[in-house]
Amino acid sequence: MRSSVIGVFLLLCFTSTLASAASISWRALSPAQREALAPLDQQWDTLPEIQRSRLIETAKRYPRLTHEQKERFHNRLEKWSKLTPEQREAAREKYRAFNKVPAKEREQVKRMVREQEASKAAAASTVPPVSQTR
Amino acid sequence: MTTNLDPGKIAQLLTLSARQLDQSTLSALHSARQNALKRQAVRAPVFALATGRGTHSLIPDSIQQWVVAGLLIAMLIVGTSFWHHVVQEQQISDIDVAILTDDLPIEVFVD
Repeated sequence: MRSSVIGVFLLLCFTSTLASAASISWRALSPAQREALAPLDQQWDTLPEIQRSRLIETAKRYPRLTHEQKERFHNRLEKWSKLTPEQREAAREKYRAFNKVPAKEREQVKRMVREQEASKAAAASTVPPVSQTR
Repeated sequence: MTTNLDPGKIAQLLTLSARQLDQSTLSALHSARQNALKRQAVRAPVFALATGRGTHSLIPDSIQQWVVAGLLIAMLIVGTSFWHHVVQEQQISDIDVAILTDDLPIEVFVD
């Protein structure tokens, strides 16, 4: 009988761990988690639980990022959180597929994208300012 | 007075004595032997675990044992699916961080 009680107790522990992992409010986050997820402070409590638990998981990796990566992470986080779950899943699929491409071709694509970005930025900076009528 | 008998001689004496038994005693002994063999065959479990203290059947034979076995199986299933879930979530987070920090802009991966 004692082993049955222990079994039930362990089963309850498992299920409670599963349940408690996700439902965490902004105020309940640790300072390190709040720093990593800072761009989401206003909308955190409105995010679905599954998204919150995934973001908490990503926040664990934040301290190991370089300064540049941390900046990118913060700049993209809000946009990422506003995507639908389907869009995020599609992005993950694309990323997985992209990573299967040979490194040489991947670098080529990255170079092309960087060139496009640079020409876009250059075009934006050369647009003449709209003249004001008196 | 002690008589030294070797095992061969004992067997010879037993065979000689058995021959002197009447038919009804012989058949009674034979049926008793058969019954004992039958009982032994029934007792031998199909799935048995040999330990230092004999053999133990692996099939639960009481409700309590069935409950414990059921709980262990349930815990195994819950534990396995929980572990699978954790691993899957870690993989998703790895990709999310990679997308959020890659030198390619996020728009490349988002439609």
